[in-house]
Amino acid sequence: MRMGTIALNAVILMALVIAHTLLADLVALGGITPDLPLVAVVFIALRYGQIPGTLAGFGTGLAFDLLSSGDGVMGLSALAKTVAGFLAGYFYSETKAQQLLGGYEFVILVGATALVHNILYFVVLLQGTDIGWNLAILRYGIPSALYTAAAALIPMFIVSRRSSVA
Amino acid sequence: MLKRAYDIAITFREYLVLSALLVVSVSLLTLGDSPQIRILRSLTIQSLGLLQDTFNFIPDYFSLRSENRSLRELNLRLSEEVNLLREAQLENIRLRQMLALRAKSAYPTVPARIVGKTLQLMRNTVTLDVGRDQGVRDQMPIVTGVGLVGKITATSSRYSIGQILLNRRMRVSAKIQRSRVDGIIEWEGGKNLALKNVAKTLDVQAGDVVVTSDYSSLYPEGIRIGTVVSAVQIPGSLFQRVELAPAVDFATLEEVFVVTHQADSSRVRLEREQGGF
Repeated sequence: MRMGTIALNAVILMALVIAHTLLADLVALGGITPDLPLVAVVFIALRYGQIPGTLAGFGTGLAFDLLSSGDGVMGLSALAKTVAGFLAGYFYSETKAQQLLGGYEFVILVGATALVHNILYFVVLLQGTDIGWNLAILRYGIPSALYTAAAALIPMFIVSRRSSVA
Repeated sequence: MLKRAYDIAITFREYLVLSALLVVSVSLLTLGDSPQIRILRSLTIQSLGLLQDTFNFIPDYFSLRSENRSLRELNLRLSEEVNLLREAQLENIRLRQMLALRAKSAYPTVPARIVGKTLQLMRNTVTLDVGRDQGVRDQMPIVTGVGLVGKITATSSRYSIGQILLNRRMRVSAKIQRSRVDGIIEWEGGKNLALKNVAKTLDVQAGDVVVTSDYSSLYPEGIRIGTVVSAVQIPGSLFQRVELAPAVDFATLEEVFVVTHQADSSRVRLEREQGGF
């Protein structure tokens, strides 16, 4: 990966984190928001490989933590998104990247990664409380993963259209 | 030997990167609120606050902010008065034979505008356009004219982040205004709040008003939190399940007040050491 590409991806990721913080409230459905930066993390993992995906996940998660913490769980988003980026990177294939990103497999992978991310997130977040993490996952984790997967349709269509034009 | 170690590192580089980043994440989770992280967070809040302030026009359909501000300020004062009168009346009924009652004092407030909301999987927060320069400090309560919103958890010079009641980490010592039954407010997801640790035998009814308790080290006594919507006896449990609707409508929240009431630091420290909150 060239330095220019790394810098561009980093800027896009940070822009998405900020956009998420500024605008997520406007697209929230019953308090559920799509995790747009996670879509980008999965995209990077499938486009560039496991290490870039893992690093992108960590950077994005850390930015999230800095923006919303102060409540004693600093590092939680970094942890969950690092694992998410790493897992998504398993499906990286240099020869099939474009095909994967422009197909419904991308949407399914985003949904699955978001679900794993949310499970890990709630298991750690709800440690030491009497709130059942399974209930939290049912109420927030699954709807949020579905919403995030739906948001992944946008980059999927863009890549698919570019591929067909090319 | 070094060559072999290098070969192993190259072979398993993905796992090494993952492990290193996980160690950093877990360290951050363990470190929690170190001074270095506070500085970093303060810088982030300052930058984000400026951005949120700039883009705040997006959801702002009506340009009635200044009028709203003064009306809400007036509303807050009137509501405080009503709450204080209600509290005083109940106290008078219970303690009518006593002559010396401690006078209640209203705390000074700083008006603030919400310039950003962060909805993140049960960790909901708001960004306010006031910070240390306006006298806002960590742990100060946030209120509106109708009731408690949350507390400040991080500050920069001009902005601050507040944890709202709809946050998994939020806990507030509370009591039923009518029957003086104590409990702890928590949020378990959804629209309503839960009043925990209320024994089955205690008197709680739908419609009861829940206010902050005098046991709280952070919040002034008597701030309205919500209204009980249900109190259900759970078979096999010592406690009842009490749900309440928050007094504040968090979906439409725009203007708030930070109560510049500084908690007694020695009391907070002692309670934290003893596992309280």
